[in-house]
Amino acid sequence: MSYASANTFFTPLHAAWRRRQWGELSLWTTTFATVVVGASTLFFIVGFIVAEAAPAVHDLSNLWGLLVAQPWEPFADPPRYGILHAWVSTLLVTVIALALAVPAALGVAVFAAEIAPAAVRNFLQPCLELLAGIPSVVYGFFGYVTLVPWFEARFGMATGESILVAALILAVMVLPFVASTAAEALRSVPGALREAAYALGVTRWHVISRVVMRRALPGIFSAVALGLARAIGEALAVLILAGNSTAVPESVLDRGQPITALILTELGEAGVGSEKYHALFAAGAMLMAVTVLINLLIWSLKRRLVRQHG
Amino acid sequence: MAEPGLAVTVTARTPSAAVVTDKAVTLLAWVLGLAAVALPMGILAFLAAHGARVLSWEFLTAGPAGFPLGAAGGIGPAILGTLALVGGGLLVALPLGIGGGIFLNEYAARSRWVPLVRFTAECLAGIPAVIYGLFGYSLLVVFFALKISLLAGAVTLGLVMFPIILIGTHESLLAVEWEYREAALALGVSRSYAIRRILLPKAWPGIAAVVVLAAGHAAGSAAPVMVTASTVLTRTGVTLDAPVMTLPTHLYHLIAEAVSFEHAYGTALVLVVGMLCGNALALPLRRRRH
Repeated sequence: MSYASANTFFTPLHAAWRRRQWGELSLWTTTFATVVVGASTLFFIVGFIVAEAAPAVHDLSNLWGLLVAQPWEPFADPPRYGILHAWVSTLLVTVIALALAVPAALGVAVFAAEIAPAAVRNFLQPCLELLAGIPSVVYGFFGYVTLVPWFEARFGMATGESILVAALILAVMVLPFVASTAAEALRSVPGALREAAYALGVTRWHVISRVVMRRALPGIFSAVALGLARAIGEALAVLILAGNSTAVPESVLDRGQPITALILTELGEAGVGSEKYHALFAAGAMLMAVTVLINLLIWSLKRRLVRQHG
Repeated sequence: MAEPGLAVTVTARTPSAAVVTDKAVTLLAWVLGLAAVALPMGILAFLAAHGARVLSWEFLTAGPAGFPLGAAGGIGPAILGTLALVGGGLLVALPLGIGGGIFLNEYAARSRWVPLVRFTAECLAGIPAVIYGLFGYSLLVVFFALKISLLAGAVTLGLVMFPIILIGTHESLLAVEWEYREAALALGVSRSYAIRRILLPKAWPGIAAVVVLAAGHAAGSAAPVMVTASTVLTRTGVTLDAPVMTLPTHLYHLIAEAVSFEHAYGTALVLVVGMLCGNALALPLRRRRH
């Protein structure tokens, strides 16, 4: 208690100064400096992106044009920069990917936490980590040489790249993140609850679905939110698989261009300070705002969990 | 046994709906669990089956050649470039992340600023890597006039890794029991001594594991380096002020320009196997942590 009850983080500094403990002083100062530099860099990144995005949305009609009314036509006269196609693509890809990944991931989580024997679980864990560790561009490549030709043959498409293919691969990519976070939430449910439920003579599935999953619900929600943040921000795989078309996708077999793909495709050719440049930053800021909101949600769920378990 | 009739009545009873559901769910969970094992194995086997053919000493060390570029030769400069970028990034991220983690937990544990810094770090660890690309491009490449270069890319990757390492260090130190700190103070040693000789050695396996994780993540991510550091070909070797080739962006180039699928398989295989080796290195560390 006494160790942690220092009034402010300056207290150890004062104490060290009084006693002329130079080693203590230097460690405090350097670590303090790293926190200041690091934390201000993080704030700076957020502020910088927002500041660079601001010129693209300086009034309401402008914002409407950027988000909804205008197409992305950099070579038209005058050029028009609307990101409707991009956020619609991101939305479609993300929703489909999560709709596929979340039920499967919850199944895997239940298996890993409640059903699998220890030997299988110890093997499953590194497999999920491998799945999570494979780089995005490798997933894109994998989808490009397997799913794309299959779609071309199966649906008679001119090019197999499409929203659906990107979403399928994305589902595989977010699955391990959702599964391991949800499994952790299930595992943290106190064993006494399980034992009490089993003592009533109900089946294992009854215990899992009515007791364990219910108790772990906030953790499961944050697992899904984590998957959502992953899916929205995924860049290389969707750049390769979604088809990079600036038309607004009308079906899942259409090509599209999610926001991340738009930024990577256009940033190199955008003149610094040009209208296009600011439009790309606005698209990035939008992406950032959504992921920060998701993190806020995860944070509040986590706080509730901590309060619940004392 | 003594009462065969009892056994007959038990087995003859039709199982209730709840039992049938339970069996079905168990079966489904096994199928999903085994699929989650088969999926990464399948991808790995697929890449190995197609990529092993091009692997050779020359492929790993030589530069790309042929027409279109990359159709022959190898990926040596890309391997070097990736290592240089991640190494340079770690020079930025390690001191900031570990120093910051130490301060947050050992000097500022009760401060109300800690949750704010932690929340910001968690947000920044969660925002898409492409945002770091935007930031690095606009500030480092353009405003600081670093151009597309190893330096700009390394700093950008350092910023990608920094929040992950900060959170990992903070968590690893949090997991060290408070009693060690109290015992150290009771013996009259300074906090800095306790941090250096007791707390960091205790937390070290956890920190190292998270550093390996962050480095692997950075090595595989193409989005931040595509716009800050990478190029299709380097002949001059690796220098701070010049662009570099990297494995992920080279793989992207091979696919996007439809250069050579054989070499793309080889590059993807090297990337994934390299990642696996890094994780394998971290495995004993993690075992020590638990």
